[in-house]
Amino acid sequence: MKSSEHNFVELLQKHQNIVHKICRLYTNDSDAHKDLFQEITIQLWKAYPKFRGDSKFSTWMYRVGLNTSITLYRKSLRRVESQSIEPVAYKLSYEEYDDTKDKQLKMIYEAVHKLNDIEKGIIFLYLENKNYKEISETLGISEVNARVRMNRIKTKLKTQLNS
Amino acid sequence: MDELELLKKDWETSSKNYPELNKKEIYKLIYKRSSSIVKWIFIISLLEFAFWTLISFTFKDSKDLEKMESYDVDYILYPLMILGYAVLIYFFYIFYKNYKNISATENTKTLMERILKTRKTVKHYVVFNLVFMCISIIIGVYIEMTNNPDVQNMLTRIQSEGEGNVTVFYLIVVGVSIIAMAIITAILLGFYYLIYGLLLKRLKSNYKDLKELETES
Repeated sequence: MKSSEHNFVELLQKHQNIVHKICRLYTNDSDAHKDLFQEITIQLWKAYPKFRGDSKFSTWMYRVGLNTSITLYRKSLRRVESQSIEPVAYKLSYEEYDDTKDKQLKMIYEAVHKLNDIEKGIIFLYLENKNYKEISETLGISEVNARVRMNRIKTKLKTQLNS
Repeated sequence: MDELELLKKDWETSSKNYPELNKKEIYKLIYKRSSSIVKWIFIISLLEFAFWTLISFTFKDSKDLEKMESYDVDYILYPLMILGYAVLIYFFYIFYKNYKNISATENTKTLMERILKTRKTVKHYVVFNLVFMCISIIIGVYIEMTNNPDVQNMLTRIQSEGEGNVTVFYLIVVGVSIIAMAIITAILLGFYYLIYGLLLKRLKSNYKDLKELETES
């Protein structure tokens, strides 16, 4: 048990960026980010005995992390619902969204935050360079559907950015 | 799409800016309490099972049941009791089996389906209990009407005052029973709707979203 715990902590420490990135897409402030990070960590640990090593730990993390964010996570009551991205979530690159620095990027992130949970999952995997086969396997939809939805997301983002 | 390329580029570079949790901090996190909806569904379901079991035990020890037993209607009461326990065991077994099958390592759609299936088992159990409760009330009222000497005396008195009054008496008994059943059912259903409605709102909407995509293509 101790050794399994040790292995898990080591692997998670190595790949913790994945969890942070998921939290970044699904939350709007640092409290929610911490809450979701904690819940994903707990779910990863609970599911760890089922990790058989036939896939990469990082690939397995994508699945558990997204499942937690889309399905299992119960939003914390203290979480403030807001569409704005607060530049307080740790020391993320939110500073870069400064109007003068990169207005366009700020708008893109805001548009992404307005997507629904499933769309966020698809765009997250896309940003992580996953192909449509991997996206479809993670979400349980067909490859064609993943492609169709990705195209719709692109159109949706374009419409939002141009409006 | 230029914007998406811009986003992708920033996504890759900004990923270096995340805070690094050390091993000690991660150790602390893995033993924190989860607040996942599966855990809440499990807790609420256990409370539901406990609630209905408690109701049946309360009824079992009540004076009303002692009185019922004196009417010599065991041939009705025992099958009802056995049915109640058999159904409880059956539902608990199915519920536990479904619950054990829930795993965050499944794909998102399967995970959602398994959670909804577990929830459905409890929903069926609740519906069974409501129906069972209504049938028990009907049987209880019928036994009282046909066996209770006080009711019999009352009926004889009413009958002596005129046949029409007996019909009114029966109508009142039936009416009051229906209203009582309707009120209890409405309160319980409203309670479940509120709890599960709030808990599963997001999951149901996301599941609908995934399903819509499947049916469209």
